[in-house]
Amino acid sequence: MSSTDDIDINAYVDGELTPEERLEVLDALRKDPELAREVCELNNLKSQLELAYAQPPGLSGRSAVRKRPAWLTLAASVLALAVGVTGGWFAGVNDRAGDRLVVLDPQGRGQAPATAESDETRIVFHITTPDQLAAGELLDEVETMLQAYQRDGRNLRVEFVSNGDGLDFLRQGLSQHQERIHQLAESYRNLTFVACKNTIDRLQVEQGIEINVLPDAEVIESGVSHVVERQKEGWAYIRV
Amino acid sequence: MKKPIHALMLLLLAISMPFGQALAENGYSKQKVVYHINYDDPKLQAAALRNIQNHINAVGAGNLDVKVVMHGNGLALLILPDSLPNLPKFKHANADEQMTARIDGLKQQNVKFQVCANTVKGRNVSIDNDLYDVDEADIVPSGVAELAKLQHEGYTYIKP
Repeated sequence: MSSTDDIDINAYVDGELTPEERLEVLDALRKDPELAREVCELNNLKSQLELAYAQPPGLSGRSAVRKRPAWLTLAASVLALAVGVTGGWFAGVNDRAGDRLVVLDPQGRGQAPATAESDETRIVFHITTPDQLAAGELLDEVETMLQAYQRDGRNLRVEFVSNGDGLDFLRQGLSQHQERIHQLAESYRNLTFVACKNTIDRLQVEQGIEINVLPDAEVIESGVSHVVERQKEGWAYIRV
Repeated sequence: MKKPIHALMLLLLAISMPFGQALAENGYSKQKVVYHINYDDPKLQAAALRNIQNHINAVGAGNLDVKVVMHGNGLALLILPDSLPNLPKFKHANADEQMTARIDGLKQQNVKFQVCANTVKGRNVSIDNDLYDVDEADIVPSGVAELAKLQHEGYTYIKP
């Protein structure tokens, strides 16, 4: 099959590769940090474009828009499973701590797509600034919400996505809220923390050190793509 | 696989045609937007208000439903400079003459300014004495919950 040189990273970013090709690219990205950066930039650009042109949820008959055909959901699950399984294998091979490519969490926590049928309130917080004071206040407010929803028996899912300068929030040694995050993640299964692998890879190259995220954080490929996906799924979006 | 999708798109297009007439002359249809402010930098806040004015200019005040949701440090936008010494949890009080003139101008164009009750309580803010032109009706229980609710109601989220 194709070598790293002729891999079309544009096709990869656009999600047009077959699962096999995709894995091949993922493998290449691992070996070539420069290529990984390039993909990261492309991903960001694409996500910004998507955000700029995305139909705001709710404006155009949300129930009709949100129902995915069953085959698509199935295909997505199969792909997710394939990437998840092989990602686990890669992680084993490379033996890098916190380097998880898991798209589906074993307990269905965090990564399972929200369904249109549920009456859940879903909020994704996008942390992109290093201001941890604001992030701490936000944790207060979110905890109040989690308590209120739990007390009233209403469904709520909250996700924090950190990338770029916001990654410090979830970095070991740099997060000012490590204990708090751990305690909240233990108490509320409907609360998840997600760190961007693109940012981790970039920092590792730039700073030449191993970047470790908190054990309570899950690692996904691209934080920006993830928040775009969440909005498409009908999650409310709040940037911090 | 492709044909039924084309047929569906044509059908949708046909259904949506009459709504095309709802477009204003500038080409924009009605918009519902929520602006989120949780930072206290006066320059950024002034820029945010300018963004909103430009947004109104482009779309037309009659075509636009704008809410501004403030929480945390964002309340600094409405804090009167004289009150700053009483509010140790705030570093900025940006409701000076220039800023309040901007706020008045936007309010006249139907922009609603909403304040988070959690921040008011948590930072001991007096609605009557410390904030510019805020009454009970402008207070929402939680800024975060309000942002989520408005998006659920079809408001587009903008963080300038």
